[in-house]
Amino acid sequence: MGAKVLIAEDESHIAESLGFILEREGHRVETVPDGETVLLRLRGGLPDLLILDVMLPGLNGFEVLKAIKSDPRLNSLPVIVLTAKTQPRDREMAESIGAAIYLTKPYSNRDIVERVRHLTEAR
Amino acid sequence: MARTLVGQRIRDHRKAKGWTQAALAAHLHISPSYLNLIESDRRNIAGALLKRIAEALEQPLEEFDGAAERRLVDELGEIAADAEVASLPLDSPADLVARHPGWARALVALHRSGRDRQHAIAALSDRLSQDPFLGDAVHSLLTNLTAIRSASEILESIADLEPARRKRFVSIIAGDSRRLSDVAHALAAFLAKAPAAGGAVTPVEEVDDFVFDNGNHFPALEAAADALAAQAGAQPGAVDAALSAWLRREHGVEVRSSASNGGAVHPPRFDRAAGVLELPDTSAPSTRQFAFALAAAELACGAQVAAAIDGSTLLTAPASRRRAERVLLSYVAGALVMPYSAFQPAAAAAQYDIDLLGRRFGASFEQVCHRLATLRRPGAEGIRFGFMRVDPAGFVTKRLALPGLPLPRYGNACPLWAVYGAFRSPGALVRELVEFPAGERYLMLARTVEKESQGFGVPPRLLSVMLVCDALHADRTVYARGLDLRASAPAVAVGQSCRMCPRRDCGWRQEDPIIDAGMH
Repeated sequence: MGAKVLIAEDESHIAESLGFILEREGHRVETVPDGETVLLRLRGGLPDLLILDVMLPGLNGFEVLKAIKSDPRLNSLPVIVLTAKTQPRDREMAESIGAAIYLTKPYSNRDIVERVRHLTEAR
Repeated sequence: MARTLVGQRIRDHRKAKGWTQAALAAHLHISPSYLNLIESDRRNIAGALLKRIAEALEQPLEEFDGAAERRLVDELGEIAADAEVASLPLDSPADLVARHPGWARALVALHRSGRDRQHAIAALSDRLSQDPFLGDAVHSLLTNLTAIRSASEILESIADLEPARRKRFVSIIAGDSRRLSDVAHALAAFLAKAPAAGGAVTPVEEVDDFVFDNGNHFPALEAAADALAAQAGAQPGAVDAALSAWLRREHGVEVRSSASNGGAVHPPRFDRAAGVLELPDTSAPSTRQFAFALAAAELACGAQVAAAIDGSTLLTAPASRRRAERVLLSYVAGALVMPYSAFQPAAAAAQYDIDLLGRRFGASFEQVCHRLATLRRPGAEGIRFGFMRVDPAGFVTKRLALPGLPLPRYGNACPLWAVYGAFRSPGALVRELVEFPAGERYLMLARTVEKESQGFGVPPRLLSVMLVCDALHADRTVYARGLDLRASAPAVAVGQSCRMCPRRDCGWRQEDPIIDAGMH
């Protein structure tokens, strides 16, 4: 049985490919394009995993992550931060807020699939 | 600070002449064993004997005064502070300079070059991380690449992909490839316009070396200034009107007064092409006078300045040559306002009273200090002064080094120097008798100067200007009045900089010393 994965990614081509490969692995995928929608969606029920882009319009990924980790109802959700921001301080920021995994673009599909499997099987 | 290094040089020149130690000793009426001690740098010599040796070896005295070597030794000492070489047993830069001066100079040049490149890399790194265009471009590149990679991996890894899906992912690859090309082109165009990294040595350092190499004195420029003053009919103390008239008469230069009206005040500006000298109506008389002199120097003495620059092998970068040109034109302007033949005797007679000389020649405190540091005409020398100007952050904005007291290149000087203390009492002259760790004593004189007052509400731009001379000469100045100049008298215990200073118990210490007392 696959996991419920929420993808927050405003680049539609990336979201589309990512959704496709995760669905092929048996996961149920939902994609949202901005930070506010992520939080709205989460308050309606938690998925098993969130894949979160940092450079989202409106609330950015770090702000969304902070909101999740400071909300007792949401903070158990594992989050993969996926970003084109490659500076060490961005990684430190994400990890200090509570990201489970920090992945920089461009990633390999296999890498994403394995990490999603690792995080969802652990639950 | 640095021990005498003349011995090896004497030995080299003696051998070059084909003389034995005994022959030179006989010529000098000293014993061969004493000459041997001198050549082994186990006896410091100066004064008459050094002069006789220079004459015997037919070399200028400067060849043996050790100033250049001492400067080199101090620079090597500063290099020794770097982590990269901290493990080297570099306990005697003086020996390195004495035995292998070429290698020592090369090491200093390489170090400067390396440091300069580090700065360039840091600047580029800052630019890469902070430039908004680059940030956006890199983000776009990575985003497009991610979409292409992910879609192409799907096409490659899934053999039975349905045709509609296959077509869709091929379309994603094509679309993102086009966008990637556009970003790459924009990035290439941006980088093509980016300025190239600087040369191996900074222009400031090259010009610093150039001025030091000339002993802060340029006879050809003094002569050019004298000729121009004669042509313009400028008399010391009142060159303002004569130069203004000369500029108008000979070059049609129009002087315009610009009203400040509470806005930003700019320093005087000379537009040579337009033939306009713009002077703020709030400029001090000394600033106006210097502006006239600078414009006249630019119009009349360009050839002499260019010749001085062309004659030096130290000025390699175009930026250094431009900086040297500005420095030398200011030198000529200073010589116009304070002609050597009038200023040097006046300075000696006034016991180097800076304010008095300023009033006599209509010059500012800084202009007088700068001029005093150039009085090196053979046979008519003034006291040898070093000159330094810093901003409130400690950044050195001008320097004319003094043999034996090099002004730090790689960081700030000792916070106890008068040049910094002057900021505590703006406008007041700070006099300080200081003693360095090896016992050398200097008289430091510093005062803040305010650049182009901007009016109420704008913080004054204060700089601190310092003159410094060996305490041995201090008694020839008015500033020795009331000072006990005996070597046993109290003096402020200073160093060159924390890294170079062995005074471990100093309350001002910011970092550990890298050398011990008596290293040199």
